[in-house]
Amino acid sequence: MSNHLEGSRNSCALHGALQLFEAIEGVIPVIHSTSGCGVQHYLGVTRLSGGNDPFSSPPVSSSNIAEKHVVFGGGSRLREQLKNTVKVVQGDLYAIVTGCSTEMVGDDIPAMAREGREQEWPVVYANTPGFSGDVHHGYHLALKALIEQLPGIWKRKGEFQTRLVNVWGIIPNQDPFWRGNLQELGRLLEGIGLVPNLLLGSEQGIAAWTQIPEAALNLVLSHWGKLPAGLLEQRYGTPSIILEGAPVGSAAVPLLRRLTEQLKLDQIRSEEFITREESLLNHQFARLADSYYRAGFQREFVLVGESAQVTGIGEFLGKSFGLLPRMLIITDNPPDNVQEALADRLSSIVSGYDTEVIFSEDRAEITDIIKTSDVQLILASSLEREVAVELDVPFLALSFPLDDRIVLDRGYAGYRGATALLEDIGSSILAFSNDRLFC
Amino acid sequence: MSEKIGKHIAIYGKGGIGKSTTTSNISAALAESGYRVIQIGCDPKSDSTTILRGGNDLPTVLDTLREQSKVRIEDISAVGFGGVLCIEAGGPVPGVGCAGRGINAAVELLQELKIFEEFKPDFVLYDVLGDVVCGGFAVPIRDGLADRAFVVTSSDFMAIFAANNLFKAVNKYAPSGGARLGGVIANSILAAYAPALIDDFAAKTGTQVIGYVPRSLVVAQSELYGKTVIESVPQSEQAQVYRKLAKYIDENEDSVIPKPLNSPELKKWAREWGDRIFEVETGVVHEMASI
Repeated sequence: MSNHLEGSRNSCALHGALQLFEAIEGVIPVIHSTSGCGVQHYLGVTRLSGGNDPFSSPPVSSSNIAEKHVVFGGGSRLREQLKNTVKVVQGDLYAIVTGCSTEMVGDDIPAMAREGREQEWPVVYANTPGFSGDVHHGYHLALKALIEQLPGIWKRKGEFQTRLVNVWGIIPNQDPFWRGNLQELGRLLEGIGLVPNLLLGSEQGIAAWTQIPEAALNLVLSHWGKLPAGLLEQRYGTPSIILEGAPVGSAAVPLLRRLTEQLKLDQIRSEEFITREESLLNHQFARLADSYYRAGFQREFVLVGESAQVTGIGEFLGKSFGLLPRMLIITDNPPDNVQEALADRLSSIVSGYDTEVIFSEDRAEITDIIKTSDVQLILASSLEREVAVELDVPFLALSFPLDDRIVLDRGYAGYRGATALLEDIGSSILAFSNDRLFC
Repeated sequence: MSEKIGKHIAIYGKGGIGKSTTTSNISAALAESGYRVIQIGCDPKSDSTTILRGGNDLPTVLDTLREQSKVRIEDISAVGFGGVLCIEAGGPVPGVGCAGRGINAAVELLQELKIFEEFKPDFVLYDVLGDVVCGGFAVPIRDGLADRAFVVTSSDFMAIFAANNLFKAVNKYAPSGGARLGGVIANSILAAYAPALIDDFAAKTGTQVIGYVPRSLVVAQSELYGKTVIESVPQSEQAQVYRKLAKYIDENEDSVIPKPLNSPELKKWAREWGDRIFEVETGVVHEMASI
């Protein structure tokens, strides 16, 4: 018997693919579907991810198919749309993504992409019907399309770069802090002498993607980054380091040391970098101490978000910040074996204190669980604001969907992310306490 | 939906089994009896009504819909033998698009054009590609569009398989207002065992055979002239066979919800008939059995 699902935060595969393509500079997505798909992506996804959506409307090319294209096939409509898009929007790469109706009809998308390439347009395609899976599956489909099809468009000589590291697993918008998180991870990698290939965000375009095969390592920062890393290992033999979430604060130390050892980096330089970062973070802790004890920061909290966020942030707050993770609610629906491993790892973050690890993407269920939990701090998505008001506890929105914050380059990964977390959580608690003091 | 005008009959059958020939001859026979008849071909091949129209071209509903924003009844219909109004739903070229959705769109357009209100038919015959491969091909038997469905089958296993699929569709939709099954039309009867085989399938599935149409050279000849048998050889025995079918459909309102065989049952049934036919052909004599 199936259960109904309320307010899922996992959109469809088409949107997952779109998010990836839109996050690469110079890539122009072309949607081959009905007109609602692009609009829904804007209304239901990009607009709810920290307010950094494109101005006023979704500037995405779409074939906007009608009934006649369903009946007679929409191939010619896509051909026309691709031609018009190339005329109107200058891009380095055009990426066709498909919706449910065109996939039901069975339009021959590879043939359309091939036709485009025959005219010397750089075109890739991903078959991304929403019914094939959720946003994470779409992220996979788009990555697979790029990894498999780009070498057919740009043949690079491919000299091995001993310091180049590809970074995988941070899903644009599904992690509202993806830009800041990637920038900070890039800074950490550079700090120990590596060249990060971040692939998404500012200044990350086709040049970054075509040098993927030359990398010395794939750094995987969530379960969802394992697929591209696996593909690259098969194709180019590139090894990987796999983490379930981007490290926050001191959790970066083992990663930086492992990278130093595995890629034979300058150990002294790495240790100096680690020491500098650690001491700065400790300094921040010390500066925070007065407020921490005065306002009673040490609280039992619930954290709701994707597995990568919950792992990184949850462990930092429990292990370094002295907060008590009462409940960790994971919403991205990873496969069973990953759920088991995560439950095992996250249930005892704080020694002698049991943390409940729950997997759900159902807003109603999540709300009910929080209501009966007696938590004193809620770190979740904007969907949980209501229950925070009802329970009258401090609240910080930090996972998707996020409708009451502007996120430009803020991140919660690495050392700077740890500082940002201290600031944001501290501010939420203080603002909450002050409101009650002066009201 | 407004009150239904005329009796609406859907005729299904596996591709190539002779269902368009049978439907057209029934339409011609009904028209000959003085009835106003519309025949709607629901097959992307768009050749359902060819022999009613002397082989002339007729733009399909979907082609017309694609080419022009406003469609009129006269753009998509032609008057054939005996005044039968001929319409072809049409569909995409093979391997492209969605023919099932096409049937849906065409039927919707016909309703919008109020074709039944305008023409006031006594009979509307839908000639539908018969494997009912998806929801689109079930449109004529859904939503109370047709009152009864008939299936044309030969004694070939694949034709029986397609008929059984139609039974599944009728079985699914009839309880909620969809068409019920009027019966089976046995077509291309040549082998001696064929009527018994089709009778047995009908009995097993809780329905009945309403007529046996022998394989005949007259049909093939008439088709080559672009005509129905009723028109080209009206005095022939074959024409009488079609007239009898038309009379049955006109006078008999019997219908059932069939009991389709499931996959293992159908395979077992086919195997038993395979054995029986082999024995008949090779002359095996069983003790105490007469052949």
